[in-house]
Amino acid sequence: MKEKILEIINIVLENRAKEKLTALSPKMHLRNDIGLDSLDLAELTVRIEAEYDIDVFEDGIVNTVSEILKKLKSK
Amino acid sequence: MVFFLKDIEQVKSISWSFLIQDINTSLSYNPYCKSARYYDVFKHIIISLIFGKEIILLDSDFTDSELKKLTGYSEYEKFNQVIDKKNLPIIGNKEELIEILKKTSDDWKISLFTSGTTGIPQKVTHNFSSITRFVKISDQNTNSIWGFAYNPTHMAGIQVFFQALLNGNSIVRLFGLNPLEIHQKIQENNITHISATPTFYRLFLPCKEVFQSVRRITSGGEKFNEKMIVQLSEIFPNAKITNVYASTEAGTLFATENDIFTIKAENEHFIRILDDELLIHSNLMGSTDRNIDEWFKTGDLVEVISENPLQFRFISRKTDMINIGGYKVNPLEVEEAILSLPEIKNARVYSKSNSVMGNIICCEVVCDNKEITESSVRTFLQSKLQEFKIPRIILFVSELSTTRTGKIKRN
Repeated sequence: MKEKILEIINIVLENRAKEKLTALSPKMHLRNDIGLDSLDLAELTVRIEAEYDIDVFEDGIVNTVSEILKKLKSK
Repeated sequence: MVFFLKDIEQVKSISWSFLIQDINTSLSYNPYCKSARYYDVFKHIIISLIFGKEIILLDSDFTDSELKKLTGYSEYEKFNQVIDKKNLPIIGNKEELIEILKKTSDDWKISLFTSGTTGIPQKVTHNFSSITRFVKISDQNTNSIWGFAYNPTHMAGIQVFFQALLNGNSIVRLFGLNPLEIHQKIQENNITHISATPTFYRLFLPCKEVFQSVRRITSGGEKFNEKMIVQLSEIFPNAKITNVYASTEAGTLFATENDIFTIKAENEHFIRILDDELLIHSNLMGSTDRNIDEWFKTGDLVEVISENPLQFRFISRKTDMINIGGYKVNPLEVEEAILSLPEIKNARVYSKSNSVMGNIICCEVVCDNKEITESSVRTFLQSKLQEFKIPRIILFVSELSTTRTGKIKRN
């Protein structure tokens, strides 16, 4: 699942001509470490939802990679 | 000392005396204002006020093709003019500056661009009295410190700017910062007032911190829900929370403490509801290049709660305009930009509801050329459109989805 999330985050980064990640750590902060802005986060939710059928931001903003993984695992 | 502006992009805060010195020594003026620096935009507006001349605000991220479409030009240097110092006062201090600004002449105008409910972007011009209609000047407001959470060239940002300017307040830029930086700036500067879109607050939540210094929270530009009011009152326990309805065409019009707007008796004859759509009388509007009818159709659909006094709640938009975190996007403008890529045969731009930004722009394109990818279309659009107008999801399809009547489906 982590690899898939990395792939999705990299699609979002690539579409904005931002540098792609080589690896993903659960501790990474989506905005502060990965550099996603609010438009990127909006895109990320749609791409994750298309893959896993879960809106990870439904109950408020999630901040880190581990929070995304936790939401997806609790499905 | 009371500062004028703190912007994370500048190392030092800017004091009122620096601002005044800078204005006193400015030698040239250009009616077109396009800068990514907040200070430049604010200074430019103040000089235009003292000068009594029109200022035309352009978003710093407008592309050359957008600028040409909107203004007919993409370079503005030739509009530079020398300021004739003989007729202008030398300003001594903040109080003198504010007194001069309060007496701004009727010749002064401020123009900005709206995506427009009709879809064609248009210039909207306001004078001093219409832009400051909701500015409250009082001793109570003297020590306010504003968290500035808007783009300075957009209507909401300009309104916050005037409220802060005419009360001699301090401004701290919050727009474009990440949540941690925002939390830090509020605490460190004892920010008392924040005005922002629901999307800004949504990105702020969930939040474990409590901000005691904030006395007023204002939200506008998108639908505001009760759940958010509850969440905001927890993190801002001392703040009065207000929801405002404003548009580029009319400025701020109404305010409420929940999601139901009550129209005061003295304004009732300027408001009309026709087929569930909110109409506003031209007396409350700025002027546009187009002739406007006596009643302006806002495109906002409302549910009437009571007739006397008139109370209503916003339900949705009547037009195809897409609201992305408070920014209005016209799908037709985006489709036109996509179709300017020769390999794309057809395009449909639509919105999908989104838990982060309210809505997100998606599009379907018909294209036979395999070399065209989602990423290459996005890159191409970056030279044509502002970032928030660019579709975030692009699907390649063999034909576009249409409604039963054959119209392109938007939702």
